Amino acid sequence: MKVVGVAFLMAVLLAGCLAMGQPRYIVLSDITWAPFEWVSEKGAYLGFDLDVMRAIALLEGFEIEIRDTPFDSIIPAVIANKGDVGASGFTINDERAQVISFSEPYWTSDQAVVVRTGSGLDMDKALAKGRKAGAQRGTTGAGWVEENLPDVVLVLYETYPEAVLDLLAGRLDAVVQDVDPSKQAVGQYPGRLEIAGIIETGEQFGFLVAKGDPKEILPKISSGIAKLQASGAWDHLIAAYFGPSLDAIEAAWEASIDILLVEKDVVKFAQTLAALATK
Amino acid sequence: MTLETWSQLWGKLPVLLQGLLVNLELLAGLLSLGIVVGVVVALVEVYAPRPLRAVALAYEWFFRGVPELVLLFLFYFGPSQFGAEISAFFAAVLALGFRSSAYQSQIFRGAIQAISPGQSLAARSLGMSRLAVIRHVILPQALRLSLAGWSNEFSSVLKDTTLAYGIGVVEVMRQARYLTARNFPLALPAFLTVALMFLVLTYAGNWGIGLLERRLRVPGLEARS
Repeated sequence: MKVVGVAFLMAVLLAGCLAMGQPRYIVLSDITWAPFEWVSEKGAYLGFDLDVMRAIALLEGFEIEIRDTPFDSIIPAVIANKGDVGASGFTINDERAQVISFSEPYWTSDQAVVVRTGSGLDMDKALAKGRKAGAQRGTTGAGWVEENLPDVVLVLYETYPEAVLDLLAGRLDAVVQDVDPSKQAVGQYPGRLEIAGIIETGEQFGFLVAKGDPKEILPKISSGIAKLQASGAWDHLIAAYFGPSLDAIEAAWEASIDILLVEKDVVKFAQTLAALATK
Repeated sequence: MTLETWSQLWGKLPVLLQGLLVNLELLAGLLSLGIVVGVVVALVEVYAPRPLRAVALAYEWFFRGVPELVLLFLFYFGPSQFGAEISAFFAAVLALGFRSSAYQSQIFRGAIQAISPGQSLAARSLGMSRLAVIRHVILPQALRLSLAGWSNEFSSVLKDTTLAYGIGVVEVMRQARYLTARNFPLALPAFLTVALMFLVLTYAGNWGIGLLERRLRVPGLEARS
C-alpha cells in the first residue's frame, strides 16, 4: 500500500515536473464565429480552431492559454508580443504575411451568398447591378465583392450577425460570408434565410505567429496537424463541427472534453465528440 | 424580438451581470485614479510656478485630445515594446483613468478658482502655510462645488468602460456579443438589456452623487469672486 502510495506520489511529481518544463503559449481568438470558435451556452470556449489547438498542444507537449481578442486586434497583439498564436479562421494572404508568419493551410473555404427565403433571388440576381450586399469589415467576402462586383452596393458591418439582422430587416438583398458560418446563420433562422449560391474563392485558413516565428511554434503546429490527420482525429473533428447544430455540438463537447483534457487521449476525444454530435 | 428570444435572454442575465461587474471594477479603478491625478493637475495648474504649470497643461491637452480608443491601444500595446507586460484590464484602467483625470482636473480647477481669493489672503494672514490653506480652506469648498460637474464626468466614463472590449477585456458588451454570435436573434434584446443596465446605473450613480451633494452642503456657503 505504502509502496503504491510512494509510486503514485513520484508519478505525480514527475508529471508535475514535465508539465512545468513545457512551454506555455497564449492563443488569441475572436470567439464570436461559430463553428470555428464561439462561447457555449455554459460559457466554455469551443470550436474547430480551438480544439485543434488544444489537441496540437497535447500532441506536441506545450500548454496553451486561450484568450479572447477582437479580430482586428489579434495581428497587432501578436506583433506586440501580447500573444503567441492567432487561431481565428485567418485567411492566408500576402498583406498579412508581410507582418506575421502563417502555418501551412489547414482549411479551405468558399464564400456563400445568403438571401431571404422567398425573395426569389438566385446568386446572379442577388448580386446584380444596384443590389445591396452586406459583409463583415476586413473579411475576404467584403474584399471579393469590392473587387469583382463594383456595381453592387457594399455595406460593411463590424460583426457578421449585424449584417444578417439587416438582411432580415430587408435593408440588404444578400450577405456574403464564409460558407460554414453562413450555414450556421441559416440554421438559426429556419424558413427565413437560405443560401442562394457559393462563390468559389478557395481561400485558405492558417494559424499565425510572430514574423519569422522566433519561438519556433510553427514546426510544432505542422507536426501536430500531420499527426491529427494521420490518426483520423482530424476528420472526426470536421464531422463534429461542420454539420451538426450548435446545441448538438455543445452537448457532445461537454460530454467528451474531459477525454482530451484529463485522459489526454486526442483520438478518443475526436471520435467521441463526432459520434455524440452527429448522433 | 419575440417572447421566446426574451425568455432565452432572461436565462442569460447572470452572464451579462457578470460582464457588468467588470465594467464596475473598471469604473472604480478609473475614477479613483482620475480623482487623485485630477486634483493634483488642477492644483498645479492654479498654484504651481509656470514651468510646472506648462507640464500640467500639456498633460491635460494630450489626454483630452487623443481619442479614447487610441489611448486604449497605446496603453495596451505600447508597454510591450519596452518589454513591460500589462494586462488588458490594467491598461484600460490606466488609459481611461488618465483620460478622466484630464477632464476632472478642469472640473476641480473651475471649482478652485471659484473660491474667492480673499479667503486665501485671510487664511495666510492668520499664519497658515500655503499648503494648509489649500488643504483646510480651498479643497473642502472646491470639492463640494465640484460635485455637480463631477456627476457629469461620472455618467460619461461609466459608459466609456464598454470601450475596453476593444483590447479584449471581457465586459458586458463582449458578453452580449458572445450571446449574439451564438444565437443571432438575441442581438436586439441583448443590447436593449445592456442599455437598460447603463440607464439604471447612471440614474443610481447620479442619485448617489446628488445625495452626497446635499449631505455635504454647508448652509450659507456661497462661491463669489
